[in-house]
Amino acid sequence: MVFRALLLDAYRQLSAAKLFWLTLGLSAIVVLVFGSIGFNDEGMSLFFGLTQIESDLVNAGSPWARGLYIGIYSSFLVTIWLGWIATILALISTCTIFPEFVRGGSIELSLSKPISRLHLFFMKYAVSLSFVVLQVLLFCGGIFLCVGLRIGEWNWGIFYAIPIITVFYSYLFSVCALVGMVTRSGITALLITGLFWMGLFSTQTAEAILNTFVTEQKVTIERLEEGIAKATEELAELESESLTDMRIQDRKDRIESFQKDVDAAKKLFDKIDVWHRPVTWGIAVLPKLGQTIGLLDRWLDDGSGFDIAALMRGDMQELEEFDDLDPTTRGARERETMRRIDDDYSERSLWYIAGTSLLFEGLVLAFASWYVCKKDF
Amino acid sequence: MTAIDLKDVSKTYRGKVHALRGVSLEVMDGEIFGLLGPNGAGKSTLVKIMMTVIHATKVSGEILGHPIGHTQTLQHVGYLPEHHLFPHYLTGNQVLHFYGALAKVPRVARVARAQKLLDRLGLSGWEHKKVSTYSKGMLQRLGIAQVLINDPKLLILDEPTDGVDPVGRRVIRDLLDELRSEGRAIFLNSHLLSELEMVCDRVGIMVKGKITMQGTIESLTSDSKRIEICIAGTPPDWVKEQCNEIKENTIIVHGDDPKFVQPLIDRLRKEGITICSIRPVRETLEDLFMRAVDYIDQPGAIK
Repeated sequence: MVFRALLLDAYRQLSAAKLFWLTLGLSAIVVLVFGSIGFNDEGMSLFFGLTQIESDLVNAGSPWARGLYIGIYSSFLVTIWLGWIATILALISTCTIFPEFVRGGSIELSLSKPISRLHLFFMKYAVSLSFVVLQVLLFCGGIFLCVGLRIGEWNWGIFYAIPIITVFYSYLFSVCALVGMVTRSGITALLITGLFWMGLFSTQTAEAILNTFVTEQKVTIERLEEGIAKATEELAELESESLTDMRIQDRKDRIESFQKDVDAAKKLFDKIDVWHRPVTWGIAVLPKLGQTIGLLDRWLDDGSGFDIAALMRGDMQELEEFDDLDPTTRGARERETMRRIDDDYSERSLWYIAGTSLLFEGLVLAFASWYVCKKDF
Repeated sequence: MTAIDLKDVSKTYRGKVHALRGVSLEVMDGEIFGLLGPNGAGKSTLVKIMMTVIHATKVSGEILGHPIGHTQTLQHVGYLPEHHLFPHYLTGNQVLHFYGALAKVPRVARVARAQKLLDRLGLSGWEHKKVSTYSKGMLQRLGIAQVLINDPKLLILDEPTDGVDPVGRRVIRDLLDELRSEGRAIFLNSHLLSELEMVCDRVGIMVKGKITMQGTIESLTSDSKRIEICIAGTPPDWVKEQCNEIKENTIIVHGDDPKFVQPLIDRLRKEGITICSIRPVRETLEDLFMRAVDYIDQPGAIK
């Protein structure tokens, strides 16, 4: 009864703010635009056939059509719309919930009821999150219908976005709730949450860049040391056959050049690793926003090898086709670096991504609930 | 039965500011108890401690037979905070349902009570209008309705008539009388001494975190009862022997028994002195309050 009352109250509060309906309306437009993409024998059509893009690869029945359609959902709609725009709108809508809750004249009315403070706080928190659940549920429902009707695939995996986005949002909302209660200001709560988000984003971007550098140096060292070993072997073979072979100097030059590059890579590795390690440890205890959203890509992957994000980066190539080429070339090393980074992120466990992030959220909520229970209002 | 039984309630903020210093008081069922005191005396702090909004530094005692802080007891308590704030997006009816639900009142009971209360407090016709459109007096009346939505055995009201017009005050006063006659205990915090005087069975006066006087208005003012005889002209010298005080042309005799003033009146009449008025006088609650407070220049808690 109490939860229902709080739910209804939160609905009325959000509904009165209009932003809830605005977000829902915008979500409906996004779903409509997504649903306007269709596939036919010649390629794909946009805006319900208003524009036609001809393609031999992406057309009705091709596996890449499925990859593209699902990819637009998981890589763009979820990441950009739900993960950024809708989240910002949701934060703006809900940032006043806790400041209003603890406002003088209002908190006395709530605390004087037969409900414990802890119970009241967590119910209020759950109620606030339930609106994100509702928003994402409706959005996913629309996408589910679009995917089913357009490519004939009734993919229940689309609804994985509900727990993913809710958990993602909850990392931020826990901070918003805590700051909102302590400062009793929705604007301050929103600003601090925004700064926290930007801080996390910057730290995670820094970690990704440092990780790329470190992996790149590791691959360079490995590949070039292999190259040195191979060239040394070839040199010994050539010298045993003839000391005047023109290729002997070439091998010597190669060994020397590789050695120089290995030494430079080792130096750079040592330099970057000093920064990379603490950032990695720092990231481990902070909410992992991007990686949480990335779980959807992982769970919706059909194994076809189609990766729309890679396509946008210009990396959409069959990596295996280069395997026969010289592995010491810059291109081969870069590809290996990307492959290892992809593997690294995709092998990170659910516990590491969501578990540690929820642990952080738990700590924030523990502090917030301690504050609510101890505070004299 | 005792509805509120407080013993030695203390509250110290940050170890320095003593808001309450060993407050003890009792409120019985079927009684209206008024707590008076200057600003910053600690009245609202005491109320908030009873309602678990503030944690006491030291407290013992019971509310409705349960220790203070027992959450479930609050199901039978109605509380109206001073400067209460209802969510502006709710209508009057929704406010009653929301706070009723928080007080764990079943929906059927809420529906039945809400309309009755709105009617009783003169808010019918406004039940479906947003509270943001209500006047201060209407909000106060809605606050009283909110207090009653859980059919409480104990009502704790902090400045219930604040901002209410005379008609609204009368409605609230009649309602309080009715609630008292139903056997409910009512604890009132108010600055409006005349209001309190009209409805309270007992009062307590709090000054600087302590209750300095407590009892029925009758008992607290009994020492101040007197009979004042106003005459035309200056009282003759012999009058001094038969009265307690003379203020200009007013002769004051302490006590309220008329037989003590009869000889004095007879002699005044015999000497042809014109008697303008004879009236029994008792100290008002305001006089009592001022005496208890001993007028403080610097209101507030002791540091």
